[in-house]
Amino acid sequence: MKIKTYEDMDLQELDVMREISSIGTSHAATALSKLLQKEIRITIPQVSVLGYNDALARIGNAEEIVAATLVKMDQDVEGLMLFLFDLNFADTILGTLLGQHYNSFEEMDQLAYSALEEVGNIIICNYVNAFSKLVDVEISLSVPSSTVNMVGGILTVPMAEYGYETDKLMYFNADFVMDGKNLSDWLLMLPDIKSLNAIMEKLGV
Amino acid sequence: MERELKVGIGDMKLTRGSGRIITYALGSCIGISFYDRGINLGALLHIMLPERQAQTDPNIFKYADTGIQETLRKLTAFGMVRARTVVKIAGGAKMFEIKGNASFGNIGERNAIKVKQILRAEGLRLMAEDTGGTYARTMVLDVTNGDVVIRTFGKPEKHL
Repeated sequence: MKIKTYEDMDLQELDVMREISSIGTSHAATALSKLLQKEIRITIPQVSVLGYNDALARIGNAEEIVAATLVKMDQDVEGLMLFLFDLNFADTILGTLLGQHYNSFEEMDQLAYSALEEVGNIIICNYVNAFSKLVDVEISLSVPSSTVNMVGGILTVPMAEYGYETDKLMYFNADFVMDGKNLSDWLLMLPDIKSLNAIMEKLGV
Repeated sequence: MERELKVGIGDMKLTRGSGRIITYALGSCIGISFYDRGINLGALLHIMLPERQAQTDPNIFKYADTGIQETLRKLTAFGMVRARTVVKIAGGAKMFEIKGNASFGNIGERNAIKVKQILRAEGLRLMAEDTGGTYARTMVLDVTNGDVVIRTFGKPEKHL
């Protein structure tokens, strides 16, 4: 195998991942746009491979509360996908879907949580669909699992799961733009190292 | 201002006399506080996985086995007496539950089991714990008195 850890990827390989993520995010934005009946644009995606502490520093402080959805990928690509978004993102979406505004995650009820969970599912599923068509691989997804909690604790999940393989995280971030407002979200697509090599090979990189 | 030491992931800090040692947002990781009340010596260790597998891996504080061992070595050098020392642990949560995949995300539970097993083998007293559940915890050790505070989302603070 050519790539042994995420940080082994060269610029060309990272570029490929960014391109894939750009297409995946566009599809996710289209799906979200349909759900909300609003025009949604995306900013230029960034791809980063960072250690936990650096990744955390970019996203926010460890105790910041975020909403997160996680799925496990199986079949041709094995690994995890994690989608995170902050209060501003959640509030904007709930404002559109439910016509309600929230100043904190603690104010939200079960209905609001279900709506957020659904948004997480839609984004991840559309992203993975676009990705699997592009790379021509079959990916099966687990039932999504969602939570609202401290970002620090959520980010350790993929690290603990692959902690013996790598201590880096690969994440993409492209903000969604709705009504002129930037909505921050982070998508972590973490194929295991074997799958990452298979993806690169399949794309002829 | 009171001194505050921050412990990252796979990291350990110790201090004596006064001040606080804090580690943020423990998910499946475990925070282990050691406190010798005789000399007000405290340490806080943040481990992520149960055992070091590669002997060459330099991140000793990332693992329960090598992390606890090294913390005890350092504390002993600072004059810790085991009989006076109390240990408290927090973390080991399961942040996500995946239906039909029970083994996913149980690393927190495995961490907790391993940590307790090592503490027993070392003859250390585990005085309090706040482990399991589905939420992250911030853990703060007050070195003046050994008090441990746990902060979580949507719940009042808890003292261990």
